[in-house]
Amino acid sequence: MLELGPIISNAFQALQTWVIALGVPVLGAWILAKSIQVGIIVLLVSLVPMVLVYAERKVSAFMQARLGPMEVGPFGILQTLADGIKLIFKEDIIPIGADRMVHIMAPMVACAPVFVCFAPIPFGKGLVPIDLDISVLFIFAVSGVTTIGVLMAGWGSGNKFAMLGGLRGAAQLVSYEIPRVLSVVPVLMFYGTQSLHGIAMAQHGLWHGFLPKWFIFYPVVGQIAFLIFLIASVAETNRTPFDIPEAESELVAGFHTEFSGLKFALFFLAEYAYVFLSSAMAVALFLGGDDGFYANGFLPSWLWFIGKTFAIVFLFLWFRWTFPRLRVDRLMQFCWKFLLPWSIANIALAGLMVLLLHK
Amino acid sequence: MTMEQMIPTVIFAAMAILLIGLSLIVVTAKSVFRSAIALTAALGIVAGIFALLGADFVAASQLLIYVGGIMIIMLFVIMLSQRSTALTERQTNEQWLWGALFALAVTCALIVQFRAVYRGVFATSVPTPTSVAIGRLLLGDMIVPFEAISLVLLAALVGAVYFGLDYEEKL
Repeated sequence: MLELGPIISNAFQALQTWVIALGVPVLGAWILAKSIQVGIIVLLVSLVPMVLVYAERKVSAFMQARLGPMEVGPFGILQTLADGIKLIFKEDIIPIGADRMVHIMAPMVACAPVFVCFAPIPFGKGLVPIDLDISVLFIFAVSGVTTIGVLMAGWGSGNKFAMLGGLRGAAQLVSYEIPRVLSVVPVLMFYGTQSLHGIAMAQHGLWHGFLPKWFIFYPVVGQIAFLIFLIASVAETNRTPFDIPEAESELVAGFHTEFSGLKFALFFLAEYAYVFLSSAMAVALFLGGDDGFYANGFLPSWLWFIGKTFAIVFLFLWFRWTFPRLRVDRLMQFCWKFLLPWSIANIALAGLMVLLLHK
Repeated sequence: MTMEQMIPTVIFAAMAILLIGLSLIVVTAKSVFRSAIALTAALGIVAGIFALLGADFVAASQLLIYVGGIMIIMLFVIMLSQRSTALTERQTNEQWLWGALFALAVTCALIVQFRAVYRGVFATSVPTPTSVAIGRLLLGDMIVPFEAISLVLLAALVGAVYFGLDYEEKL
């Protein structure tokens, strides 16, 4: 039992009183505390992709009978660190035909929103950075900005493969955003709040003493919503089987063909951070957040949350290494003719159930 | 002005200056793509101003609809229809002076009017939960206009599908 929430809040209390005792005004102490909190989140979000890249390599190695990283450190743990160092030392190439400013700004625009998106995620008891009333809408709105970065990368590189990748990326991300948002609507209808913290808290407890009150266990509505959210999330993160914006065998590397060194690393960081964000959202919305069902209190709440999140991350990795890539037109058909009607039907069903429950 | 009023004012001033600068880039940039990017950033800053005024739902909607939706479609269209001659074309025609004078007149009129009405009024600048109130209003008092707007949008969608059809299919 090691609850991080109270420890961290006590530490910040102590820090604030200490700084105020040193003669710093209250406002300054508050700004200092907030800056440190923001720094912790940014650091965590930057470190998570390193873990995920290593996990991706190892999982793919086990699934496809590859070797995976072995040489660098025990079990190849230091491989991602070595990759990072390699990327830092790479030459930063800007093509002559590129629109310089757009080319330079593209990775920043693609990467910056993901840090903001983690603000309303309820990591555990007392570990909600900001309990926004509109968390869900906020995350969808801010993560949409990344698409602009993809488009800028595609256009600003002055390369036809990048251009095609950017166009495909924009079409795909905008299309899959719609069923993804609509799949969450039933959750909001049942709990009557948009705050992720509120939704996660509402899923604590058991039904009839054995079934956790998680939204995924709501009959029919929960499972459909979760599946649509999961599929659309995989598409939103540009991962196989939905990786046509960066399809290696068709478009070299798609929208990030012309990026090298740290700018390429920023796109990678954004992708893996979004995988983590989508998993964290799925856990908070459908899997009870930090609820530990039967074994509540056996592990601290933040460990439950992280554990469930990594279970969903494993699903993302599993999809990538077992499904073949979809064709462009099939991809669009799947979104508009299958996911969208089903998500709307799911909302109607959820409305009916809410109506009957409240009668 | 107290410290609590000072910070929102400083943030507002910074955002206003950025917004004006980006808007100027929108109308003066030679590359259509660049001006669209500047417009995207400007719309994002408008969302920031909404958030500063305490309208959290409107701010997020602004970001979701304008930056994440409309601007992406616009950039998409620009990418599909770029011409290489666009960079050498003149940005203005012979009526630029009258246009500038008219814009200046409108700006002055708006400044005078707003100063008269909102002098000394401070926004709360605390993000207040507004989504519940907006939801009640949209499905309560405002249900008729809300549904009417949905019908207009539906008609626009059907029209877009019709125009998108092949010529043979239409007949």
